Amino acid sequence: MNQITKEMRDLARELLASGEVKGLIGWTKGSRWYLTPPLFITRPEEAEQLYFDQFAVNNLTGLLLDYRYGDDKIALFVKGCDSRGIVRLLQDHQIKREKVLVIGVPCMGMSDKKAVTDPRQPVELPLLDKCLECRYPNPVIADRLIGGALVSGEPSEPKGLTASEAAKRGVGSKQADRFAQVKAIEAMSADEKYAFWQAQHEKCLRCYACRNICPACNCRECIFESDKKGWVNKSATPTDNAFFAVTRAMHVAGRCVECGECERVCPMDIPIMALNRKVIQDINELFGESDAGTDLDGKMPLGLFKNDDPEEFM
Amino acid sequence: MKRIGVFVCHCGSNIANTVHCEKVAQVAKDFPGVVLSTDYKYMCSEPGQVMIQEAIREHNLDGYVVAACSPRMHEPTFRKCAARAGMNPYMVEQVNIREQCSWVHANKEKGTEKSIDLLRMGVAKVVKNEPLYSTTIPVTKRSLVIGGGIAGIQAALDIANAGYPVTLLDREHTIGGRMAQVDKTFPTLDCSACILTPKMVEAAQHPNIELMTYAEVEAVDGFVGNFDVTIRKKARYVDFDQCTGCGACTEKCPKKVPSEFEMELGMRKAIYTPFPQAVPNKPIIDAKHCRYLLDGKCGICKKVCPTGAVDYEQKDELIVERFGAIVVATGFEQFDISAYEEYGAGKIPDVITGLHLERLMNASGPTAGKIKRPSDGKVPEKIVFVKCVGSRDEAKGRPYCSKACCMYVAKHATLLKEKMPNSKSYIFYMDVRTPGKNYEEFYARTQNEYDAQYIRGRVSKIFQVGDKLIVRGEDSLLGRPVEIEADLVVLAAGMDPRGDAKDLARTLGISYDQHGWFTEAHPKLQPVETHTAGIYLAGACQGPKDIPDSVAQASAAAVKAAGLLSKPELTSEAMTALCDEAICSGCGLCQSICPYKSIEIKSINERYHGQMRQRRVSNVNQGLCQGCGACTVACPSGAMNLKGFTNDQILAEVDALCQR
Ligand SMILES: Cc1cc2nc3c(=O)[nH]c(=O)nc-3n(C[C@H](O)[C@H](O)[C@H](O)COP(=O)(O)OP(=O)(O)OC[C@H]3O[C@@H](n4cnc5c(N)ncnc54)[C@H](O)[C@@H]3O)c2cc1C
Ligand code: SF4
Ligand code: SF4
Ligand code: SF4
Ligand code: SF4
Repeated sequence: MNQITKEMRDLARELLASGEVKGLIGWTKGSRWYLTPPLFITRPEEAEQLYFDQFAVNNLTGLLLDYRYGDDKIALFVKGCDSRGIVRLLQDHQIKREKVLVIGVPCMGMSDKKAVTDPRQPVELPLLDKCLECRYPNPVIADRLIGGALVSGEPSEPKGLTASEAAKRGVGSKQADRFAQVKAIEAMSADEKYAFWQAQHEKCLRCYACRNICPACNCRECIFESDKKGWVNKSATPTDNAFFAVTRAMHVAGRCVECGECERVCPMDIPIMALNRKVIQDINELFGESDAGTDLDGKMPLGLFKNDDPEEFM
Repeated sequence: MKRIGVFVCHCGSNIANTVHCEKVAQVAKDFPGVVLSTDYKYMCSEPGQVMIQEAIREHNLDGYVVAACSPRMHEPTFRKCAARAGMNPYMVEQVNIREQCSWVHANKEKGTEKSIDLLRMGVAKVVKNEPLYSTTIPVTKRSLVIGGGIAGIQAALDIANAGYPVTLLDREHTIGGRMAQVDKTFPTLDCSACILTPKMVEAAQHPNIELMTYAEVEAVDGFVGNFDVTIRKKARYVDFDQCTGCGACTEKCPKKVPSEFEMELGMRKAIYTPFPQAVPNKPIIDAKHCRYLLDGKCGICKKVCPTGAVDYEQKDELIVERFGAIVVATGFEQFDISAYEEYGAGKIPDVITGLHLERLMNASGPTAGKIKRPSDGKVPEKIVFVKCVGSRDEAKGRPYCSKACCMYVAKHATLLKEKMPNSKSYIFYMDVRTPGKNYEEFYARTQNEYDAQYIRGRVSKIFQVGDKLIVRGEDSLLGRPVEIEADLVVLAAGMDPRGDAKDLARTLGISYDQHGWFTEAHPKLQPVETHTAGIYLAGACQGPKDIPDSVAQASAAAVKAAGLLSKPELTSEAMTALCDEAICSGCGLCQSICPYKSIEIKSINERYHGQMRQRRVSNVNQGLCQGCGACTVACPSGAMNLKGFTNDQILAEVDALCQR
């Protein structure tokens, strides 16, 4: 058992036993070597089931939405990227600060299970793209820290117990390429772009996995499930899928925390982050560089009326 | 299904020339919901409106669409027309087939096609319209005038004389503005102070006017009828209640500073009144130069003040006051001539501006009215004027004409000749523009009786040789170069907007042009209104103006302000935002984006799975909301809708367009 897992279990046991929190969200070892799915526990003895390794990739913050109207205090573990989801939910007033206990963990970089060829044969797997591009490997917000994790509200190098492992595995080594795909698509002709996206949207199953995992998708009633007629067709036709994809991106505009979970969970490998990043790039150009979900007191560029907002169209 | 009427207007030939109006009306008959569709020469005319009203009654219409000009022109007409026939005025949609079709398209077939599309959208929208109602809001019967130049003073006097309290605010510590610096005024040559100071005094003593000098507007909240204005009253370090204006402090103050009022041609003290007739006529301390405030040494003014009025501890004070109307009269700045390096401007001391000359000519100015060169005090004989410096010059980003310079240069040449009969003025000009009563006559006299020599052409270079200034240029009428050995050069520097005009515009929520002049709501028909209801413009802040124009505009703005204040109450906007609480997630984005601070987050109790729970939702103050729609686009949940432009209505329009 690794050191971080041990610290996780100890802290979870303590928090649940003392009654400081009513429930705790973490990860557990799954049915296969490359699976470390989320786990929700309420009793101290369940702490033994917690587990952390390079497959604990799920961003757990969105799960807090299930408890948004409750009075129970919930603890959860966050990696650097996940932690920005906490800020998202707090800024969107979806959770109350005093009702959540954030435990920061250091991250060694998450492996890409899509590279698994033989489910019975554990092998060394490459890092996920989002980890190669990672700029916030350390939690931006936390009430407790384990594994030597450190809080940092700025882009930073991996810290804590896993720092050297993360560095070796290349966490953050492709930060500079964050907008590479956007640039590549921007360079296409209009027809090429259309063909490119049409091919992507044709694949979409409208399973809504991307939406469900997203901490920024926190509406009470998702427009794609609205019973209001006429907005969007629920069937998975290419046109409606395109409408869905663009609408989803616009709904998280200025609020997407770049956790990359939407793209990771998409069963059809649709490059969802390309759209998110395009929006981020444009917002940065228009309103100055900012990273959503890194500063609790920071104002969101699209949530603010400023006297000197650009108004070239007027 | 609602019963919809369609009325297609020809606008004489304005629309009919490029759009087949009869055909448009014919096609519209088949749009869903349309029970009547017709066309007419002028829908806005009396018979046109009567026709609509009769149709409403006869066909029992629930709503109608008029395809005509821009709603900016006639939407109120057609809304009122509906109301007269007993229809809710918001059951009307106006589709613009003039500015958006006939005026921008040459091809009649295409213009017709587009008109039909727009109309189809309009019909689809009006089917989803709901009756809307406005409420009434009280009017705070007080006005704020920002800027106490001649324009601000005149506006304040007129509003005050109409019976409404006015606060006349100026950031400087006296009112008067630029006109106070001017010596004599064209075209009558009466002394500027003699006609200005009576007005300054009248404003100061008017029972309805509160003077608030040395104060600045920090923030403006609220809306027409009820603006909440945050004002910073800057620390003067002199308690005006105690000060008698005796001037003992100024006399004894050891610190001398170049006087801004005298264009730095003379000195003032650190505790000072800028000029003898200043209003209020009490000194303030310039904290940037006061020895005591800078390093704690001195304190003489406090010692000599017989009433103990000097108070080094005074701090800026922020107050919030409510006004029903605001007149902006912040004037202009003189163009900074140092942009013209080729003229040695800013480097050669004897290359000065018009305002410098005004001070040199003024009997109470730094030279007691004797014209002396700044460099050596010599009385100049040959004086060269260069016009359009910082005006009509694309290269300097000033394509506009500054309007007053042609006349004030003529005035200067006349006055110089009167003061110094041996002097000679040479005036380089591009054009001479004298549109104004008695202006051309004045200009003619300057040439014929005062011997001013007008040379058409631009000056290319000015440089010093010995104690002379060599002005090199081209006489474009004769087509040959000219060179004049001058003693003094006066650059007729143009008018610039105030350096911080854009900031003020943003604070007030009014618009400005690319240079920074405030923009009127309509260049011809609403020249003193801004796009923000309740805020009016007066004087040179709206564009270069001379005194008569500034005064006329000030009185016009005053009438508008007084007219607003005279209303018992205002009707609030009916097209406001409304939050669907069932959908609202309480994120608060709408609240932070609302420019009018009309949104609050409230907590509601609701039953959920048998239990009561609290939830945050957004709440729009219907009186404050101006219907700008910012919140509706910010809302990620689609919970916020603008009445009259609901998401459903817009979607219906998009659908209609796609169905063509
Ligand atoms: C050299 C020269 C000679 C001229 N001679 C003549 C002449 O002979 N005849 C003639 O008709 N015209 C003449 N003019 C034009 C005349 O000066 C203007 O028409 C007139 O001053 C415009 O008045 P105003 O009240 O609009 O602006 P201003 O005189 O500029 O007054 C504006 C006032 O607003 C205040 N202010 C500015 N910004 C703020 C703020 N943010 N908050 C609070 N207060 C603020 C300023 O302190 C000032 O008191 C001359 C101009 C020049 C440059
Ligand atoms: S849109 Fe994707 S990357 Fe952005 S916050 Fe949601 S899940 Fe994360
Ligand atoms: S996860 Fe992928 S397939 Fe599923 S809805 Fe999102 S984009 Fe479509
Ligand atoms: S429409 Fe929305 S943002 Fe605009 S004034 Fe009304 S409440 Fe505020
Ligand atoms: S932005 Fe929308 S969801 Fe958020 S508080 Fe306002 S109305 Fe509610």
